[in-house]
Amino acid sequence: MASVRLRGIQKRYGDNLVIKGIDLDIEDGQFVVFVGPSGCGKSTLLRMIAGLEDISAGTLHLDDKPCNDVEPSRRGIAMVFQSYALYPHMTVAENMGFALRLAKVPKGEIAERVGRAAAALQIEHLLDRKPKALSGGQRQRVAIGRAIVRKPEVFLFDEPLSNLDASLRAQTRVELAALHRELGSTMIYVTHDQVEAMTLGQKIVVFNGGRIEQVGTPLDLYERPANLFVAGFLGSPRMNFIPATLAGEEGATAAVRLPDGGIAEVAADVARARVGAPLTLGVRPEHLRVSGDPSAAGIAATVGLVEYLGDVTLVHLRVDGVDGMLAAKCGTGGAAAALGSRVRLGFDPAHAYLFDEAGQAFAHSRAGVEAADKVVVDE
Amino acid sequence: MTNLSPNLRSNLFWTVVGAVSAILLAALWAAPLLWALSTALRPELETVSAEFHWLPRTWTLDAFAKTLAAGNLVRWLFNSALVALSVTVVTMAVSLMAAYAFSQLRFRGRGLLFALAMLAFLVPFEALLVPLFRTMNQLGMINSYAGIVLPQVVSPVVIYVFKGFFDAIPADFREAAVMDGAGPLRVLWSVYLPISGNIVWAMAIVTFIAAWNNFLWPFIIVTSNDMMTVPLGLTQTYDAFGVRYAQLMAAALLGALPVAAAYILFQRKVTQGFLAASGLK
Repeated sequence: MASVRLRGIQKRYGDNLVIKGIDLDIEDGQFVVFVGPSGCGKSTLLRMIAGLEDISAGTLHLDDKPCNDVEPSRRGIAMVFQSYALYPHMTVAENMGFALRLAKVPKGEIAERVGRAAAALQIEHLLDRKPKALSGGQRQRVAIGRAIVRKPEVFLFDEPLSNLDASLRAQTRVELAALHRELGSTMIYVTHDQVEAMTLGQKIVVFNGGRIEQVGTPLDLYERPANLFVAGFLGSPRMNFIPATLAGEEGATAAVRLPDGGIAEVAADVARARVGAPLTLGVRPEHLRVSGDPSAAGIAATVGLVEYLGDVTLVHLRVDGVDGMLAAKCGTGGAAAALGSRVRLGFDPAHAYLFDEAGQAFAHSRAGVEAADKVVVDE
Repeated sequence: MTNLSPNLRSNLFWTVVGAVSAILLAALWAAPLLWALSTALRPELETVSAEFHWLPRTWTLDAFAKTLAAGNLVRWLFNSALVALSVTVVTMAVSLMAAYAFSQLRFRGRGLLFALAMLAFLVPFEALLVPLFRTMNQLGMINSYAGIVLPQVVSPVVIYVFKGFFDAIPADFREAAVMDGAGPLRVLWSVYLPISGNIVWAMAIVTFIAAWNNFLWPFIIVTSNDMMTVPLGLTQTYDAFGVRYAQLMAAALLGALPVAAAYILFQRKVTQGFLAASGLK
C-alpha cells in the first residue's frame, strides 16, 4: 500500500495546458474514483501517475517519495487498461506472468503467484487459453489478474468496465469492491460513469476542463455539490436547473423568484448575494413532486414524456422560461401523469439548491432545512 | 444446357473465359522456365541447332553433371546463401528497430529523420555505386562478404511497411509492456515482433529473394571467382567456344532452387503477411 500526493500537477502539450494544476492527497488503501466528462483530463492524470505521460510541472509523491522521474515499472504501480491490453500471442498464464518474467522472478514462484491470482479471480481453467478465446468479462479478469500478480502498492484502473455489458458491469463492480476490501491496496479508478463512481469510490474526485471541481465522499458530492457542474454531473437523471432571481432572505431561508413570477423558498445561506441577483435553483428529480391538481400551489408544468422504468416512473416536464425539460422521479404506485396534462411541481426547501451567477453553490442553512415543506407562489 | 437460365449461362461463360485466361497467363509465365529446363536436359550441341523443337531429341543430365562437377556452383550457392541470409537478418533487425523508433518513440527530429529515410526512395541505387565502391575500397571490403552485404541492409520500403504496421498496433500493448518493466528493445522483441509475425515473414522472404537475385552490386564489388554469388557466377558459364547454353540453364535452375524452396516453404506466411500489410485481413 502507498499514499499518493499530487502538488501543482500540470500537463502541457505545446501551448495547450490540459491539466491545470492538480493538488490531491490519496491515503493508503483508499479507493479513489476520478470522474468527469470525456476530455476533462482524468485519464491523462492517471497516465501521469503511472509514468506513461511526463509531468510538465508539479510533483508526484508515492509513499512520500518523489516519483516524477521514476520509470513506470519502478513505481510499484499496476494498471488495468480500458482495452485490457492482453498480449494476443501469449496465453493467459504468460500474460499474467510477463512482468514477473521480466523481473527475473524464478519460474516456480511465477507459477505459484499466477496460480494464486487465478484462483482468487476464478480463472484457473483459462490459464492455457489465448486472449482471443476469452469473453470480454474473462479478459477483464485476466487484466486484473495481471495487475495483482505484481503485488503493486497502487492499482490504476482506466475505465476497465466500459467494454462490458450492463449486467456484467454491475457484477464486476461488486467484485472490484470486494477485491479492494481483500487486498487493501490503494486504488485509483477512472470512469465517466457516475454509477461506478458512486458505488465504488470511498473518495470521488470530479474533474472538468483539466481542473478538480470537487473532492469528497459520494454522499458529500451528491448532497452538497460545490457548484453547478458537480450538481449536474452526479445523479441520473441529472439535477433540474431553473433560472431564478433572489427575491429576499428571511432568517435561514432564501426566497427566489421563478420565471413564471412565483416565489420559491430554499433553505440556503445567501448572505453573500444581493436582492435581484440572478441565481440558479436546483432540484433533484427524486425531490420534485408532481401534483395533478391544477389548483395546488407550485410551478405550472406540462407533461412532455413519461418513461416507465419498472421501479420508478420518470416524468419529463416542460416549464415556461426553462430550457429543455425537467425530470421528476415518481413511484409506480400512484396514477401516472398523462402525456400533455397540466400539473403543478413542488419540492422540499431543504432538498433544493441555489447557485450564484458564477455557478458556485450557496451553503445549506441548518435552520432552513427545518423550514416548511412547501413552495409558496406569490403572484 | 438448354435448361440453364440466362443468369447461369452467363456465369458459366465468364467462368470459362476466366479459366482460359488463367491458363494462357500461366503458360506465358511458365514458358521460359520450361524452355530453360528443356535446354538444360539437351546435349550442348543440340542447344545451338538451327532446328527449333520444344523437347530435347536426346535427353541427358550431362549439363547438370558438368555444372556440379565444375565445383564453382556449390561455392556460388554457398556465397549466395550466406549473403542473402545475412542481408535478410540484418535488414530485418535494422528495419524493425528503425520502424519501431519512428512509430512508437517520441524524440526530437523524429519526423525529419523519417522523411530523410524515405527520401532514399528517390535515389536510384545506380547513382550510389561509385561512392559506395570508393567507401568499400577505403574500408578494405572489396571481395569480402561484409562488402557485399552492408550496402544492401538499409531498405526504406521495409522500414515504411513495418512503421505502417506498428502504427496500427494499439499503443496500449506498448504501455502495458512498459508498465510490466519492458524497455524499448524488449517491447519490440516480446510484443511487437510476435504480433507482426506474418508481415515480418513476408518482408524477410522478399528481402531474401531480392538479395539472392541481386546482380549489380556483387558484380561491382566482387572480382574473385570464389566470392561470386549465383547470378554473378552464371556469367562465367562460357569457354573459348562461347556460351554453353545447357550448362548455363542447368546452373540457373540449380541456382534458383533454394529461392523457390524458400518461397514454397513460407508461401502461406508470405500471403498472410501481404494481406495484413494491405489491410485486407
